Amino acid sequence: MLQIKDVYASVEEKDILKGISLSVNAGEVHAIMGPNGAGKSTLASIIAGKEEFELTKGHITIDGEDITELDAEERAHKGVFLSFQYPIEIPGVSVTNFIKTAINENRKAKGLKDMPASEMLKKIKEKADLLEIDRKFLSRSLNVGFSGGEKKRNEIFQMAMLEPKLAILDETDSGLDIDALKVVANGVNKLKNKDNAVIVITHYQRLLDYIVPDFVHVIMDGKIVKSGTKQLAYELEEKGYDWIKEELV
Amino acid sequence: MQNWYPGSAEGKGGVYNFVTKRGLCEKNAKISWTQVETGSAVTWKYPSCILKGDNSIGEFYSIAVTNNYQQADTGTKMIHLGKNTRSTIISKGISAGKSQNSYRGLVKINASAENARNFSQCDSLLMGNECGAHTFPYIEVKNKTAQIEHEATTSKIGEDQIFYCNQRGIDTEKAIALVVNGFSKEVLNKLPMEFAVEAQKLLEISLEGSVG
Repeated sequence: MLQIKDVYASVEEKDILKGISLSVNAGEVHAIMGPNGAGKSTLASIIAGKEEFELTKGHITIDGEDITELDAEERAHKGVFLSFQYPIEIPGVSVTNFIKTAINENRKAKGLKDMPASEMLKKIKEKADLLEIDRKFLSRSLNVGFSGGEKKRNEIFQMAMLEPKLAILDETDSGLDIDALKVVANGVNKLKNKDNAVIVITHYQRLLDYIVPDFVHVIMDGKIVKSGTKQLAYELEEKGYDWIKEELV
Repeated sequence: MQNWYPGSAEGKGGVYNFVTKRGLCEKNAKISWTQVETGSAVTWKYPSCILKGDNSIGEFYSIAVTNNYQQADTGTKMIHLGKNTRSTIISKGISAGKSQNSYRGLVKINASAENARNFSQCDSLLMGNECGAHTFPYIEVKNKTAQIEHEATTSKIGEDQIFYCNQRGIDTEKAIALVVNGFSKEVLNKLPMEFAVEAQKLLEISLEGSVG
């Protein structure tokens, strides 16, 4: 589904990604791990199409279609979803209003009419129940005054509503206590199926106990230096990243 | 709601809109002004309330949008004369392009106005780096029992907000409309339903093409 071919990327003239290749098929969960500043979040941003990040070489394709030149919203219309590490506040815009707008804009891009209100409400209720989200929460301003857990749960709620082909979870576990982590992970697991794929970006092995990856990749200094199965995450937890550094020398 | 010709994108032409509006509140009366200002090259407008009667109430809810080379200087005067008079001011200024947007308001508590109260909130939203937002709150209090509150914020539509919307499939124009509507919500909520829908559309049109 997702093909990343020898991608180089920079921010403000600083090279961050230095030749990343990754292939993700439908139905798979990939974990991307690595120390701070290795390029994990940059990879997420470059797939999502954030403007400040410049792809200097290489290609990204989704279902064979090159998305390298597409705007962020066009990529979203193709089914790319990014769960933000730091979700953004929009005062005065309720969670419901925001997701309604997002869904209808995605439908518009596909030539569909707005989703009927009754269908929308039903869907919102269903997904809110799935993620144990309180109704009152849905009428609050987007991310304004939300706790860390609420923000992340809201990201996964949006993911549930938009039903993306490819979901990238950028440090979704940061700022979550263990109960919130379980709810979020549980939500992701329920949304996973054979037609979509998930990329989990994380520092810690902890989240991977709940969202079990098929593959684990380690990024260091802008390159994938090691790939393996879930076992690799355990080894990293035990030995730290220095172990890989030494192995590379 | 006023939407006079604002002049060209280069600032040529356009209507000057200088308005005088004021209302007198007798005992227990209430006046509420709600305005949405989007047009005119230059706007000076201060709908005001003279709270003469005891227990009278004055309200002012305003959204002013300026784009390109527009200038808006708008606000209200709340003149408290009677006892237990109350006033509320909510002003939302949105500036884009090279425009200048000012809130200018007076809250005056006369010596005769025992237990007068005022609450003012002035929020400014900036789009881009070339526009300006200004707040000039004048407060004159001649009675010690008065309670006056003034809050002001200035914020800028962030690239992060836009990207967040983009990532959810919402294009930039629509994203700005969403942020602006959210920002203006407290005032839009004061309008009758049909009118609020019109006002929202007018905001979107006024800001069209304001991000390159």
